[in-house]
Amino acid sequence: MIIPILKVTNLSKSYDNIVGCKNISMSLYPGEVLGIVGESGSGKTTLINCLSGNLEPDRGKIIFNINNKETDFLNISESEKRKFIRTDLAFVHQNPRDGLRLNVSAGGNIGEKLMSVGYRHYGNIRSLATKWMNKVEIDKSRIDDLPITFSGGMLQRLQIAKNLITSPNVIFMDEPTGGLDVSVQARVLDLIRSLVNELNLTVIIVSHDLAVIRLLADKMIVMKNGTVIESGLSDQVLEDPQQEYTQLLVSSVLNV
Amino acid sequence: MIEVKKVNKSFTLFNQNNAKITVFKNLNFKVNPGEIVALKGPSGIGKSSILKMIYGSYIIDKGAIIINNKNIATLSAQEILKLRKTSIGYVSQFLKVIPRISALDVIMEPLLNSGDNKNNAYKKSIKLLKDLNIEKNLWHLSPLTFSGGEQQRINIARGFIKDLPYLLLDEPTASLDSRNRDIIINLIKAKSNRGVSIIGIFHDEYSRKKLNVREIDLNIETKH
Ligand SMILES: Nc1ncnc2c1ncn2[C@@H]1O[C@H](COP(=O)(O)OP(=O)(O)OP(=O)(O)O)[C@@H](O)[C@H]1O
Ligand SMILES: Nc1ncnc2c1ncn2[C@@H]1O[C@H](COP(=O)(O)OP(=O)(O)OP(=O)(O)O)[C@@H](O)[C@H]1O
Ligand SMILES: [Mg+2]
Ligand SMILES: [Mg+2]
Repeated sequence: MIIPILKVTNLSKSYDNIVGCKNISMSLYPGEVLGIVGESGSGKTTLINCLSGNLEPDRGKIIFNINNKETDFLNISESEKRKFIRTDLAFVHQNPRDGLRLNVSAGGNIGEKLMSVGYRHYGNIRSLATKWMNKVEIDKSRIDDLPITFSGGMLQRLQIAKNLITSPNVIFMDEPTGGLDVSVQARVLDLIRSLVNELNLTVIIVSHDLAVIRLLADKMIVMKNGTVIESGLSDQVLEDPQQEYTQLLVSSVLNV
Repeated sequence: MIEVKKVNKSFTLFNQNNAKITVFKNLNFKVNPGEIVALKGPSGIGKSSILKMIYGSYIIDKGAIIINNKNIATLSAQEILKLRKTSIGYVSQFLKVIPRISALDVIMEPLLNSGDNKNNAYKKSIKLLKDLNIEKNLWHLSPLTFSGGEQQRINIARGFIKDLPYLLLDEPTASLDSRNRDIIINLIKAKSNRGVSIIGIFHDEYSRKKLNVREIDLNIETKH
């Protein structure tokens, strides 16, 4: 039997008296891509912030199981948690400026991430950084340039390289193509898709765009008012939705 | 073997005054290894719905569909994903084109996803592209701009590239000329000769005859 890489039970988070997310339970298996959809304010960001350690939930359980090592995410010490987040998790922000340091060169951004997990040898760091610039289709001659000289699409690709270079086990993405032009979006999506396939990544991706979910996600959950109202295989939820709200969501876009 | 047992399927359209479309009540049939079964019946009777229930993309309201001793109706999402990967090939009626991915990559992907090495996947895919009579200058282009028949053949290649014990074919010969139709028919026959269980929807008598199918007339099966 395969053990879920992430198992969430009855997770809840409120902001004073505003519900962020409520009673969320779900499992994710190694190599799966989970899509999260739902209207603005439905709790998508709250949920993945709780799962990735950016927010402390009020209640619930988060268990990671990576290479047969179980981590009870909400019951470990702060230092263990910080180390776990650094080595095993990655978070790709909607706005690449939130995930990069803009006053540090492209290569420096990537190098810092490597050093944070223990890389020391300058030559190794440099060559790995170059390899990843290439992987995300940024010309390696730009390695010493500051990110502020990059286009939005390039910045997002750089953020992705920075996040994936250390081979994290679970990757969170919050609207990774949200702030980009449609033409640039296709390229970033295509990159994510090929990396997911090539590296067999386990990913949780938030997107309001059902076409993105259809393209990338094996499974999906639909959120409304902080709760999960429907979940299943992406093609099943999109083609044969069982809830009124999901049907409305699906029917309001063409050709997903 | 595929066994469809006492299956009910309906759709409730919540946003259209909760209209309920009942497609099947108590549907039963079996497909043996190496057999080709053709689903027959007028448009809207539920042919595609059957394939989608077997593949897990439509919910089975009631009853069971048994494949490899597993009941699709009760499997979890990740169990269905696994079953698809190891056992079920599905050729939808139309190719869902992915922007920027070449025809060759579209075909190689199922192999790479199940751990085949690049070189092997490449060789197999090239052979299939040749067998399917796809012009070499198209291999490295996105199928987005291909003709209907070319897209359909890419879709078939993607469904046929792995050796899987079950194949679901939704009108695989629909938009093809007679030469290409015969090529597809021969590929389907070859799969069948290797013991694959096949359920297909074939709009034309010619394909059904050539493939020596067993017909399941849904007009009769769904009368109650
Ligand atoms: N820091 C905060 N303080 C107070 N309320 C918050 C805070 N963050 C989120 N909320 C509230 O929690 C609810 C869920 O917000 P969340 O950001 O998770 O939604 P979302 O689904 O990500 O929406 P969007 O699609 O707009 O990004 C909303 O009602 C929101 O106003
Ligand atoms: N996702 C869906 N949501 C709602 N109703 C659906 C859905 N899919 C199919 N139906 C309905 O179920 C019935 C059977 O449809 P299906 O597509 O299975 O027919 P078919 O026999 O394949 O027809 P055709 O020969 O035209 O392809 C039809 O009445 C159709 O409108
Ligand atoms: Mg959000
Ligand atoms: Mg049909």
